[in-house]
Amino acid sequence: MKSLIYLLLGAILIISCKKDLAPISGCTDNIAINYNPNAITEDQSCNYFSTTPYVIETPYGFPDMKIPSDNPMTVEGIALGEKLFKDPILSADNTQACINCHQQNFSFSDPNQFSTGIDNIQGNRNASALINLGWNTSFNWDGSSLTLEEQAFEPVTNSIEMHNTWMNVEQELNSHIDYPFLFKQAFNINYIDSSHVVKAIAQFERTLISTNSKLDRYLKNEEQLTISELNGYAIFNTEKGDCFHCHSTNMFMDNLFHNNGLDIEPFIDIGRAKVTSNPLDNGKFKTPTLRNVEMTAPYMHDGRFATLEEVVEHYDSGGKYSTTVDPLMKKLGVGLQLSNQEKKDLVAYLKTLTDNEFIGSD
Amino acid sequence: MKKTLLLISAIAFLFTSCDKDKAIVTDITINFNHTVNGSELMTNSMIYTNEAGENYDIQTLKYLISDITLHSENGSSLLLDEVHFIDISDESTFSLTYNEVPNNNYTSISFDMGLDTAKNISNKYVNDDFHTTMFWPEPNGGGYHYMKLEGAYNNDSTFYNTHTGGTMGADYSFNHVENISLTVDNDLGDVSVNINMEINNWYNSPNQIEFSSYGMGIMMNMMMQMNIQMNGITDVFSVTVDK
Repeated sequence: MKSLIYLLLGAILIISCKKDLAPISGCTDNIAINYNPNAITEDQSCNYFSTTPYVIETPYGFPDMKIPSDNPMTVEGIALGEKLFKDPILSADNTQACINCHQQNFSFSDPNQFSTGIDNIQGNRNASALINLGWNTSFNWDGSSLTLEEQAFEPVTNSIEMHNTWMNVEQELNSHIDYPFLFKQAFNINYIDSSHVVKAIAQFERTLISTNSKLDRYLKNEEQLTISELNGYAIFNTEKGDCFHCHSTNMFMDNLFHNNGLDIEPFIDIGRAKVTSNPLDNGKFKTPTLRNVEMTAPYMHDGRFATLEEVVEHYDSGGKYSTTVDPLMKKLGVGLQLSNQEKKDLVAYLKTLTDNEFIGSD
Repeated sequence: MKKTLLLISAIAFLFTSCDKDKAIVTDITINFNHTVNGSELMTNSMIYTNEAGENYDIQTLKYLISDITLHSENGSSLLLDEVHFIDISDESTFSLTYNEVPNNNYTSISFDMGLDTAKNISNKYVNDDFHTTMFWPEPNGGGYHYMKLEGAYNNDSTFYNTHTGGTMGADYSFNHVENISLTVDNDLGDVSVNINMEINNWYNSPNQIEFSSYGMGIMMNMMMQMNIQMNGITDVFSVTVDK
């Protein structure tokens, strides 16, 4: 009996000792959902948020979209990007979000000639419409950014735009009630850094795809164009109007930079040459897509034209000579010599590029 | 000691002879060169004169060469590239390399300037670099530009655009064949084939072309497309081989 008690005592001792000494096993990876902060030995039980891949269908006449291998599209990343895009938390005084200057009903552009930043200072270029960005090979009027991720870094800290610091943005996001969870869900990270903020925004921007205009439906034989629109279509797509050389393919842009004869030298804004330092690039700007052009007034890099009629008048005039003007402006000094009806037809055609679904009014 | 040395040299010899037996592979590099009146093209300088007596410069030259093919004496052919896009502003487009050309006695090389009807179809090359730059709209017949040759003439502010392509779907591409003597065997090594475009010849013989009449565009002008095609066939391209 006595020996039994000893045995029991001994057993208890061993068990309790074991309990004290045994290292706790569990998931030791702190980005896992079931991370156990007390665990010392890894037991391979870690579970992570799994993301849902998002596939972009290639629209007719578009190349496949090139998506950076280090930022694959996911449903969670896109949703987070949209929230960030619309959240004034990115600006220094929490008053401006991306969407303030890229408004959806204006095809994600600013109806003002120049956008006004948080310090009430205006820029000197017109805010670009955000359409089919994933098919662009550079961004901004001068092509200063080569990826959407790179581009998204810029407005946040630009002193005349959101005038914030990334350190401040990171601090606010990390102490936010929702964002730490959302970033963990989208990227499996615990600490939110700027590189993941721009990744999420870029993912959202790649989903801003517009290919459901009247013209698209016409090309699919689903809708007919009016006589005037068809005339405009012919003027646009022949050397009579010669719009298609730059606004080419179903994307309505060529990813290149041109001087379209707006000004004589010296240029107030040297455009592309700011990036390349090549004088042959003076006064060149990136061709914008013409999709939704009806909604993206005012026009040109400096928003100098308020209406499509003014734009057509510019090209009809033939443009002004400067040393870098594009040889495609071959009717310089002569003009396109379009009749008033032809100008109206061209504008009517441009309006067939409006995608009501895209601007949220359908 | 002597024995070991002998052994080593025997082994060394074995290795060397093995190396010698191994065939040398032949990679072919096709270079695209551009001349005006025989001199290497210099862009953006008004130093050229066409047959009509107009001074001109060259600011843009982009074109498509397709079906670059080697033909051998036994009748077989080797496609080196289906479509190659050359852009004078991008040096990386000035050459292409085909690796490990099979041994054969090649007697000619041929290529098409532009795209023939089977290839000149809208959106056929949607994922190629030239898709946006060379796009030729549907109301003009669709497909792609064969060539964009642009610049100023007479003075800096009058421009010409020589854009060739399949106006209204007609095929103005043309085939160039050049006899060569190229025997690829185990000893030949790498070879360069130089395809030269003599740009000024687009504008003369048999058809003299003036910018003042046709500078503002010929995309819808079937007669001019044909005239330029004839000039092209006559003497625009020449081929040399460097062994």
